[in-house]
Formats: sequence, C-alpha cells, structure tokens
Amino acid sequence: MRSNNSRKYLPIIEICLLVGLIVAPLFINEFMTVILTRMLILGLLAISFELCWGYSGIMTFGQGLFFGMAGYVVALFANKAGFVQIWGVIPIGLLVGAITSFVIAWLLLLGRKPPEIIFVALGTLTFSYAAERLVSGWYWVGGGNGLSIFDFLSFGSFEIEAGRLFYYIAGTILLISYLISRYLVKSQLGLVLAGTRQNEKRMAFLGYRVRTYKALVFTFAGAIAGLGGALYAHHEGFIGPNNMGIGISTMAVLYTLFGGAGSLIGPIIGVLAIETISFNLSDIDAFKSFWPVILGVILLVIVTFKPDGLIGFIVSQRERIGTFGKISKKNKNQDS
Amino acid sequence: MDEIIKIVFDIVSFSCIMVLIVSGLAIIASLMGIFNFAHGEFVLLGAYTTWLFQESGLPVWAGMLAAPFIVGAFGFFLEVTIIRRFYKAAIVAMLATYAIGLIVREIVRPLIGGRFYKVSEPIPGLFEIGDMSFSIWRGVIIVLTIIIMTSCYLFLTKTNYGLKIRGAMENPALARTCGISTAKLYAFTFAFGAALAGLAGALMVPLYTLFADLGLRFLVMAFLSVMLGGVGTFEGPVLGSALIGAMVPGFQWLREIPYIVDFLSPIFSEVLVFLTAIIIVKIRPQGLIKRGRI
Repeated sequence: MRSNNSRKYLPIIEICLLVGLIVAPLFINEFMTVILTRMLILGLLAISFELCWGYSGIMTFGQGLFFGMAGYVVALFANKAGFVQIWGVIPIGLLVGAITSFVIAWLLLLGRKPPEIIFVALGTLTFSYAAERLVSGWYWVGGGNGLSIFDFLSFGSFEIEAGRLFYYIAGTILLISYLISRYLVKSQLGLVLAGTRQNEKRMAFLGYRVRTYKALVFTFAGAIAGLGGALYAHHEGFIGPNNMGIGISTMAVLYTLFGGAGSLIGPIIGVLAIETISFNLSDIDAFKSFWPVILGVILLVIVTFKPDGLIGFIVSQRERIGTFGKISKKNKNQDS
Repeated sequence: MDEIIKIVFDIVSFSCIMVLIVSGLAIIASLMGIFNFAHGEFVLLGAYTTWLFQESGLPVWAGMLAAPFIVGAFGFFLEVTIIRRFYKAAIVAMLATYAIGLIVREIVRPLIGGRFYKVSEPIPGLFEIGDMSFSIWRGVIIVLTIIIMTSCYLFLTKTNYGLKIRGAMENPALARTCGISTAKLYAFTFAFGAALAGLAGALMVPLYTLFADLGLRFLVMAFLSVMLGGVGTFEGPVLGSALIGAMVPGFQWLREIPYIVDFLSPIFSEVLVFLTAIIIVKIRPQGLIKRGRI
C-alpha cells in the first residue's frame, strides 16, 4: 500500500535547483559563470556514475576513461582537422563514450559467468589506469602536457565563447540528459535495475537477462560521460592525462556519494558542493596540495557515517527508492 | 640459452614480489571477505619507509627490516579504527579502503614531490654460476620469499593460532561460539597482510623507482595476476604473476622489430600487458588453474 500523504521532497529540490541554475548567471559575473558552466559539465559525469552505481549497482572507476576518451577525440578533431562545429562535437562525444563503454561492458560485464562487483570495479580501474598511462606517454596526443584546443566551439561561423551562452547550452544538455535518465530509472527498466541491485540471482531466475540490462545502462552512462568529456574539452580549451583516468573517475565517485547516490539529483548537488569548496579553497596555497587528501577524507567520512549523502538529510530512504512505471487507474483506486 | 635463463631469473624474482603482495591481499580477502583497495598503498608505504631510511643516512637494510613492522602497525591501526565497521558490508568496505588508499597516496605524493627516486640495493653486485652472472639482490628476494611463504604455510597449518585463523575462515560464527575472538584474529590478520605488502614494497624498491602511483600499479598487477591464475588457489596467483612478469619484458622485445618501434613506446608495452591480461581473462574467466583446494 502506498500512502498518499507521504511528503515528496525530491521534485521540490529538482525544481528549486533548476530555477536556481537558470537565474544564476543573471546575478553573477562572467568569471563565475564560466566556473559554474564547468560544474554543469561535470554534472554529466556525475549522472553517468550515478546511473551505474546508484541505479544498477555497477561499481565503476571507468567513467573518467569515457569522459577523457571523448575529450581527447574532439580535441584531436579540433587540432588535426580543425573541426569544432557543435553539431558534430556532441554526437562525437556521445558516440565515443558509448563505443568505449560498450567495449568495456563486453569485456567485463558480458562474460560467461556473472561478474562480481569487485571484478568490475578493479577491471574498470585497470582500464582507467592503463588509459592514463597511455596518453601521458604518447606524444601524438600531447604526452604529459595534454592537448589544447585553440578554436572556439562554433555553430556555422558563429563562435560560442565560454560565458553565458555556453552556460545555457551546457545547462540545456545537462537538463536533457537528466530528464532522459530520470525517465529511464522511473520506467519499468528502472524497476528491473532496482530488482537487480537488490537480488541479482533472483532477477535472473525470474527470467531477466540481468547482464544485458547492466551492459545497456553502462553503455548509456558511458555515452553521457563521453558527452560531458567532449563539452569539457571545448569549454576548458584543454584536455590532459589528468582529465582521463583514476583521478577524474574518483571525482565521479565522490560527487555522487557526497550528494547522495540513488536520487539522480544528489550527484548534481554533490558536484556543485564539492566544486564550490574546491574553488574557494584553491586560493589558499596550503590547501592546494592537500586538497586531494581532503577529498579522500570526505569520501571516507561519507562512506562511514552518512552513506546516503547530503540528500539523505532531506529525503527519506523510502522516497529515494521511489515508485516505478505508470500507476494505472485500477491500482490507484485500490490504493485509495 | 644464457639469455633465456637470465630472463627466467628476472621473471621469478618479479613473481616473488607479486606473491608477497597477492598473498597479503588474499589472506585478508578470504578471512574477512574484504577486498582491500588500499593494499597497493601499503606497498607504497613500505617502499617509502625504505627510501626515508636511505634519505636520513641510515642503512637501507634497516629500512627494509622496519618497513613491514611500520606498515603492519599502520594496518592494525586502520583495522581497529575503520575497517572493523564494515565486516557486514563488503561493498562499502571496498569504498572505504579505496578512500584510505587515496588519502595515503595523496599524502605521500607531495612528500616525495612528484619525482622518481632510486633506492640503492643493500647488497649490490652480481654472483656467478658457470658463465652467467645474476644480480645478488634478486637472488636474495627469491630466497627471502621462499622462506617467508614456507613459514607462513607452517604457521597456518602447524600452530594453534593458525588453526584458529583457518577455523574463522571456514565458519566465523562457529569459531566465535567456540570462544575464539574473531575480532582479535581479524585485526592481527589485517596487520599481517599489510606487513607482507610493506615488505614486498621495501624489497622491490631497489629494482624499480619510487613514485606516488606505484601502489596503484601494483594493485592493478596483483588483480590481474589473481584473475589470470584463478581465484581461490595458491598456485594460481603465482602462475599469473609469472605470466605478467614474463609479458613485461616480452612486449619490450616487440619493440626491436622495425616499424613496430614507432608505435610502441615503453609505456605502450605496459598498457599492452594489461590489455592482453584482460583479454585472456575474458577468454578464460575461470583462470588458468581451476578452483581446487583451500
């Protein structure tokens, strides 16, 4: 029985955040807008990890790999071919992310025996580490210095500089990705995923091809991470080994767990919170070198004391798990 | 022929290091059901301790002697303060150990200043058998590993304490009812696993260089060794690490073929090792040796 009088906070948080992000550039200066745009782009990365971990129970340290891979590919397109059209960059990002993550899903998730969480976690960690080593030693893609993009992202001959316009473009892309993800996890597919997360064996016995579902979500999440990476490379005008591999993958984990896994809006809040702290601390030199240590401590504290993250302070466990699919009229009548 | 024997010798010494690391990892995993993501950082700490001893003018061998104790004590401290909370939730424990690994790595990184350091071998030089000369230090590593692994085996099978550990491994609930304090056992075992990793790091550092991501590298290699060799056996990881150890110089040889050298930088070959290992695991997910005893 679903009681109708249980309070719903999640939609309120979502709308508040949306409105806040829409009006924010009107109140802050150009420089802060650029910083905020970067947060929105990293939000894509966080959503991508959230889909894997929060909704399908795949522990992955590979999101940074898809992010960086797409970033590198669009940077190479810009550098070697001079191609910076936004209508091309977005599909390239999506495609690179999807292909890379599909290959890894095929290697790790679609084996003959069902993979253990630890195996997938370490497997993706291995790939991230290998990729990071690869690009930092490969001079064609800039080696340890990374690749810079000198041209602005453009549409036809119109150049999109980092600023208010870029902010709204990134915001729209994030919103669309968010809505699609939200639709997915609230649909019947989401219900299958939730079942898998709880008891994988039982779902398999009920006739669901659990691994196929997982691979599907993993690939979709990879595409979103790739999209984020493509935008990131163009927004920062730079992509380097640090944006690909263990470091950025760890950030994806951290954003999601800090904000609250399993709520989809949590990771976005996590990105905003962590990046704001990071931005404010970056002026103090003493903190700069120890910032990664602080991040580690935050992760440890979250895991130990507050596994449902920031969002857990407001939203109940029950609401986070949520309801799935459309409630037919018949069921609704029975409820009331 | 001489070349091959030399290479086999190098591979065996590398495998010995991996055996020390993997057995520490495995004993923690099989007793407590926790996969320790910070294990690589224990290796790093062992290596770092040795380097610190060298930097402060103390003999390197003293550092190597101290490393397992220092890292073991650190492991004990971690178990008592943090790991203990997570025995019921293996996945959360994984994240927690990952966080610990991150903290250790990032503390060490500024301390060694992002550079690569050499540590000198405590017993330098070569010894000769027939016409061939071998590095003494690699020989010492092999001998030490055999001694340590044998004494571990004897400890686990012959002593009272070992019996308790094996009992707790088999059935923790029953062990507790028999009046064995599993909490104490777990703390001790975790410290022991950490000490093995610390020792491996200390012994290994003269052969490699000291850098902050060293732990990550060995964690990945340990994982691949276990996966290649097969989970749940003792021989499996040994064989797996030998294979990984063989592949590293193996792919370096590829670079001598013309045309390929343009594509293969030294780092490429390391990446190729990882890729090959993952593909072998994909083809043969049960590992080279099937699950048997233990």
